Amino acid sequence: MIPITREERQWFLRSLAQGLINYLGVQEPPVPVEDLLKNPPPLYDSDFGVVDMYSNLWDATFARPPSQRGSIFVRIDLDPEERRFALARETLSALITSKHGRAMGLFDLLLPHLRESAEFFASYLLVPEPMLKAYHEQGGRARGVAKTFSIPPFSALQRWEDFHTIDHTP
Amino acid sequence: MSMQALNKLVARSIIDPGVVQAFSAGRIEDVITELDFSTELCDRLSHLEAESWAEYAILAYRYVKAAEEREVRIQLPSPLEGLLPDEKRAEDEQAA
Repeated sequence: MIPITREERQWFLRSLAQGLINYLGVQEPPVPVEDLLKNPPPLYDSDFGVVDMYSNLWDATFARPPSQRGSIFVRIDLDPEERRFALARETLSALITSKHGRAMGLFDLLLPHLRESAEFFASYLLVPEPMLKAYHEQGGRARGVAKTFSIPPFSALQRWEDFHTIDHTP
Repeated sequence: MSMQALNKLVARSIIDPGVVQAFSAGRIEDVITELDFSTELCDRLSHLEAESWAEYAILAYRYVKAAEEREVRIQLPSPLEGLLPDEKRAEDEQAA
């Protein structure tokens, strides 16, 4: 695998997230990430699923039991915003370990920086660039991002900062 | 424009197996020619070699980004323009 920069990786992740947004056909927030996982594109029938768990160890994690459908195991008592972000984050693991993801070469490209990539991917899946642009143009402010897009406040702040830097690169 | 076309192609590849199949079969040119790339870029992107689709996408990003940056540089006016008074510029143009 060729070495790639963080900027290149981020561009690639933004495009992948946009692909799923296009599939969903949503024009306004909030992006229904749980619906995407429960009714995935046919390509990911055996990769996307959601299983509620009682756990104090983690918020969510993707696992693929042998010969079974891959699923995101998510803590049942999370706040709705935290749940959405955790599901969106773990969606990247589902993608890169899927048959199609492996055929694309996602595993080799993204595994070395999986945690950082997954957080970045989640923030663009839940707050797509065109929607945030429209929100901004309509006078939306930083403090309203979390509520409008239904994501945790810290993630909203980070996404707002990215909007003023990364989103304006190609 | 070209970057938008590439963004769309990579976005499409996550839900459309046809893109990766075309790449794996050495037929990415068929997909590229349908998109809004210049003839030169189309030719370059059609003959890029990569070990995987993801790697191809990154290499394509580098080409398209470099091409768009070159285009912006070409469109910029000469730094000398605007420093010369209008009369002098007119004389120069007449002499040319």
